[in-house]
Amino acid sequence: MSEVVRQRPLSRRDLEAILDVTKGLAAPFDLTTMLGAVVGAAKQVLHAERGSVWLYDAPNGELVLEVATGIKPVRVPWQSGLVGACARSRVIINVPDCYADPRFDPSVDKASGYRTRCMLTLPLVDHQDVLVGVMQVLNKIGGTFDRDDEALATALAAQCAVALQRVRMTDALIEGEKMRKALEMAREVQMSTLPAAMPAVPSYDIAALFHPAELTGGDTYDVALIDQGLLLVLGDATGHGIAPALSVTQMQAMLRMAFRLGADLEQAFAQVNDRLADTLAEDRFITAFIGLLDPQVHRLRFHSGGQAPILVYRAATGSFERYKPTSFPLGAMRLAALRPPVALDLLPGDILVLVSDGVYEQENVRGEAFGEARVCDTVLANAGKRMAELQAALLASVRGFSGDAAQEDDMTAVLVKRLAPTVERAFARSFDQIAPLVTFTAETFDRLGIDPLLLPTVDLAVEELFTNMVKYGGGSDAAVRVGIAAIDGGVELTLVDRDVEAFDVTRAPDVDIGQPIDEREPGGLGLHLIRRMADSVEYRYAKDTRESLITLRITSAGVARRRAAAKGGTHNVFD
Amino acid sequence: MFSIEHGVDGKVVVAGRLDAAQAAAAQTFLDGVDGTVTLECSGLEYISSAGLGVLLKTQKRLLAADGKLRLAGLKPHIVDIFTYSGFDQLFEIVAA
Repeated sequence: MSEVVRQRPLSRRDLEAILDVTKGLAAPFDLTTMLGAVVGAAKQVLHAERGSVWLYDAPNGELVLEVATGIKPVRVPWQSGLVGACARSRVIINVPDCYADPRFDPSVDKASGYRTRCMLTLPLVDHQDVLVGVMQVLNKIGGTFDRDDEALATALAAQCAVALQRVRMTDALIEGEKMRKALEMAREVQMSTLPAAMPAVPSYDIAALFHPAELTGGDTYDVALIDQGLLLVLGDATGHGIAPALSVTQMQAMLRMAFRLGADLEQAFAQVNDRLADTLAEDRFITAFIGLLDPQVHRLRFHSGGQAPILVYRAATGSFERYKPTSFPLGAMRLAALRPPVALDLLPGDILVLVSDGVYEQENVRGEAFGEARVCDTVLANAGKRMAELQAALLASVRGFSGDAAQEDDMTAVLVKRLAPTVERAFARSFDQIAPLVTFTAETFDRLGIDPLLLPTVDLAVEELFTNMVKYGGGSDAAVRVGIAAIDGGVELTLVDRDVEAFDVTRAPDVDIGQPIDEREPGGLGLHLIRRMADSVEYRYAKDTRESLITLRITSAGVARRRAAAKGGTHNVFD
Repeated sequence: MFSIEHGVDGKVVVAGRLDAAQAAAAQTFLDGVDGTVTLECSGLEYISSAGLGVLLKTQKRLLAADGKLRLAGLKPHIVDIFTYSGFDQLFEIVAA
């Protein structure tokens, strides 16, 4: 830019004047003050009556007049008039008689009642050659702007451009930071109301998934044992940002309150709807599933305000039932009447699948949605597993599908499975209980119709674990509880050992089975075998009751798969 | 139910369930055998790590005296256990 004007060297007095005014440019941190300082500096150095700065709004392709004494902000296309010409050419324009120049726009004068005689128009370009804006200096006191003024103005403009750009960037940072902080807070509020853990409900396996989008979405869920039964909620507030995150949180709190005050399902749904209709902004609403499950008789009753589809996997047929909403979204308007809720009975193995839009609508890079069919496929493929595993599989499936595509919305799921009945018996800690244990497993297999080919594997697992408990029980005289349940294609085995130290059987070291015979010891072999013969082994420890819970799942398909995969050793001691 | 006894041709016949409760009895019996011994296992319904431990201890003792245990007639699910534990590498396993 400095090459454009054939400027004379600046005099010492000029330099001092510029340095003097530019000192003032270092201080301001807000745009208004900075613009005032820039204009003030220009007026002072160039002995001008007025000054104005047009900031370049690159995204909109406009020049915006932010400061001009007595004039309201104006926006013009960045190519128009003298300022436009200057912005485009990035060259200083000196107009000694404005009304004689066709590029001059007299409308600003008309609006302000001020008469512009002569004018310097200067491009403001920062160190990185970025156009920051255009400065205009009007009416030199006692004459017109000369070549010296042009040189002086050019030197000043460089300082102003850098100072302005600094403030604009700081502003953008501060704004971004404010927004980020606000979102974070809303997010924290939203997350804080989610249940910390799933309640333990006999005969049920429950898991929830909450995978928030980067910017806040408006999902929530709730799973809680209350007086009315097992409360199940999945909600999704419209829009993104702070408001939806807060409104779902509000809905969840209202629901809990309504139920605490003794409301039944219909009352709670209607009351919360009407309260939300009164308080939410006109264009906002929340789609929500609100259900109550009676875990004794396995009856689920629910209302759905615009939350769909609601899927129920039926284990007996391997198919899905699909339910539509019973009402419009919560808060859309007050309820005049409410249809009766949907009521259904969950049978052993059935799964209630509540999934938010964020899952159904997650797109891949080609813009295709994940969709209901893929949700069903994932449930079907994992129906026999624990719900925690299904939840993980669902997330993995969505992620695998979406690839590099961004997650636009919260992804939430609540999965509730009715378990097959468990037959349980307690056994004293003694080796002579192994025989009764074997009888118990055989009888239970027969009673529950479990594949008898799995019996040797189950017996091995039970014996190894039970033996360990007898050996390492550390003086506990509590009986060991053994439970057996039929699962899809197999059996689930649970062993509960009370009043003991924690010992995670899933983390015990493997045996090096390639060792020469002289170095091999029988220790550790039992757990090594179990981990190879079971489909899954889980270990949980409850500190308060000092209780070890081991859960094993063994299926016919798993046994066949492992048998096919297992190759004999690569060498033999007699080779 | 578990049994271990001398059969014909110098074989040792095991049958039933060799579990932790029976391991001591099996060990006592096998401590009394010498040389190369064929263990007839076609009646063996079940074995756990306690039973494997008995076989391992016996095998080490016999190998040190140039003898060994030979296992005959293992049922498929018993073979699985030998495979998963690597015990198929420690014993000569033959058909019945």
